[in-house]
Amino acid sequence: MKGLFKSKPRTPVDIVRQTRDLLIYAGRSSDSREAKREEKMAELFKNIRELKCILYGNSESEPVSEACAQLTHEFFRENTLRLLITCLPKLNLEARKDATQVVANLQRQQVNSRLIASDYLEANLDLMDILIAGYENTDMALHYGAMLRECIRHQTVARYVLESQHMKKFFDYIQLPNFDIAADAAATFKELLTRHKSTVAEFLSKNYDWFFAEYNSKLLESTNYITRRQAVKLLGDILLDRSNSAVMTRYVSSRDNLRILMNLLRESSKSIQIEAFHVFKLFAANQNKPADIVSILVANKSKLLRLFADFKTDKEDEQFEADKAQVVKEIASLELRDRLERNAKQGPFEHHVEW
Amino acid sequence: MADVQRIYSANRFDYVLLDEIGNGGSATVYRAFYLPLNAVVAVKCLDLDRCNNGSLENIRLETQTMSCVDHPNLVRAYSSFVVDRNLWVVMPFMSVGSCLHAMKKAHPNGLEEIEICFILKETLKALDYLHRQGHIHRDVKAGNILVDSNGAVKLSDFGVSACMFDSGDRQRCRNTFTGTPCWMAPEVMQAETGYDSKADIWSFGITALELAHGHPPLSEYPPLKVLLMTVQNAPPRLGDKKFSKSFKDMVAMCLVKDPKKRPTAGKLLKHSFFKHAKPPELSLKKLLADFRPPLNPVKVLQIQNSESAQQLSSKNMASAAEYEARSMREYQKGISAWTFDIQELKAQASTLLLDDDNDETLESRLVDNYRDGLTVMGQCNQLFPLKCQTLTKSAQF
Repeated sequence: MKGLFKSKPRTPVDIVRQTRDLLIYAGRSSDSREAKREEKMAELFKNIRELKCILYGNSESEPVSEACAQLTHEFFRENTLRLLITCLPKLNLEARKDATQVVANLQRQQVNSRLIASDYLEANLDLMDILIAGYENTDMALHYGAMLRECIRHQTVARYVLESQHMKKFFDYIQLPNFDIAADAAATFKELLTRHKSTVAEFLSKNYDWFFAEYNSKLLESTNYITRRQAVKLLGDILLDRSNSAVMTRYVSSRDNLRILMNLLRESSKSIQIEAFHVFKLFAANQNKPADIVSILVANKSKLLRLFADFKTDKEDEQFEADKAQVVKEIASLELRDRLERNAKQGPFEHHVEW
Repeated sequence: MADVQRIYSANRFDYVLLDEIGNGGSATVYRAFYLPLNAVVAVKCLDLDRCNNGSLENIRLETQTMSCVDHPNLVRAYSSFVVDRNLWVVMPFMSVGSCLHAMKKAHPNGLEEIEICFILKETLKALDYLHRQGHIHRDVKAGNILVDSNGAVKLSDFGVSACMFDSGDRQRCRNTFTGTPCWMAPEVMQAETGYDSKADIWSFGITALELAHGHPPLSEYPPLKVLLMTVQNAPPRLGDKKFSKSFKDMVAMCLVKDPKKRPTAGKLLKHSFFKHAKPPELSLKKLLADFRPPLNPVKVLQIQNSESAQQLSSKNMASAAEYEARSMREYQKGISAWTFDIQELKAQASTLLLDDDNDETLESRLVDNYRDGLTVMGQCNQLFPLKCQTLTKSAQF
């Protein structure tokens, strides 16, 4: 008799199906009794935690790949991800965290050696709109943000976000007052601009004008210390990446850009100074410096050389010292070349930028 | 979800900093007043310019973890925002301060079992919650266990906490080297083997000894030596007659060198020792009675430190007592607040190994301490595999 009442252990597929049904229930406006709803929600939270345990294992057991594959297949066979994302605000904090970890993990699960999450998202790119808008809701931002960062691991998804109107909003999200949320947006922004090299290079060349105008005025010239610091670091990462060499050449030929970087070089923050140097050195090392760049460097030569004379990193850094030596050499040799060229051209010598 | 919503603003002008209650490394903690709610809070001010890019990323993760925890035994971040070059993190104000502080103030030789039992049980609940979420705290110690005037106990400082589920992967283990040496599990020191949440269980066991004696084991030694001794020696034990058998047994279960043989936090909570935990109004009665609110705890500590140091030097103590005192003195100098750079330690170890002429090198002390047949090189290879292997090679020529 005993065996008759013992329920069969639920398979991963069962749990996904039940989760889906409960999500549909949770998504409906609450017409049912309060007590019943509470019970169903508790069951939903339990299911989501079980999904997490299958995918990650727990302190006693490792995850089983077969079970993970079954779960992933069933999850993306229907619209479970959309349901989960749209219902997230209705879950409690613990369930939101579990759901976030489930979504993150699913992006990496392979079924028959395919990342089926990528296929699903490609057909449901509008989900990214919900995730990105999450930054405007302080209670959802960290959960949606973490999911978003996992989704843009797929190149097609990253391309969609880069080319969308949302890209402009990141410049504001990065400066939100809550540090944890702003830092999350900054991490996502960085991921978008560094992970998929060819996509990033294409995006930057197509959107060069508005992107760097925003980047300079909103981020590099922000009044927020951490915004400036992270922005100048990221700028260095972007420009020093070989795949972005065309963008780099364009960036270091602009006197406005040089002016901004020279101001950052003068900051009292050591960290910002060092990061600014890694961008500034590209202006100096450029072998085809436009005349106005040369004249700015010449006009400020002695100040620059004085600055570099006692410019040091906290820990000894050979690469930094080598770069610095090269920049100093380059700037020191400028005047002579500049004068020769001016004599040849007989052009007027101007330097609008007083540093 | 009213309980997790952000109630505290991210506007610096809503907060008035009152007095300094803690100071360590690049952060200072203040008692502060939150004007919109007339509430007292604690504000941690962290100088971001003194943090490198790598630790900025950790600060982001820490702050995010802290703002997403919802457990009575964990310190939550109510809000966080940037003010000039500082990050302000708003947290609950715990008026008694840390267990370390309470202990130094009134119980320099350790707490009573009834107090320890309650404090440890509350701490263990916090660890159980963190571990279930895939987090490792990595810095469990009395200095990070805070007590409020009503007896509430909260684990704080996720400064080095790591998430095993970071970015969607179950990571077999972490292999970054963080924490404070005296509390650090052997497998954390042997960076190549990696570690998981069981490392916290070791630190929890050390914390139990710390609360029982007033200081953790090995606190009189320099970091590098602590490292070697933790790996080489038998695990420390709770031996004192005044403590119960179940307490000793619980500590012994935590301090097993093989992490797999340590219980999970959940299992440990079911240990018979914790069955006897009494509510704080009973268990912490004495501790809470000692506490007088309006003083600046940091100042008081400094005064006490200088007093106890004078007392110690004026007396001629028997060797066992002297050992304890020395340990205590080193401890009070603040090993709890050591910032710890493994790269530097490794470098230190390699210079010690190369320096043949120096009598006070690592080797000579090591040989004295461990006459178990292992060569010094052997021991160091275990600890610092890369550096020492190259050293061994060059030594052959």
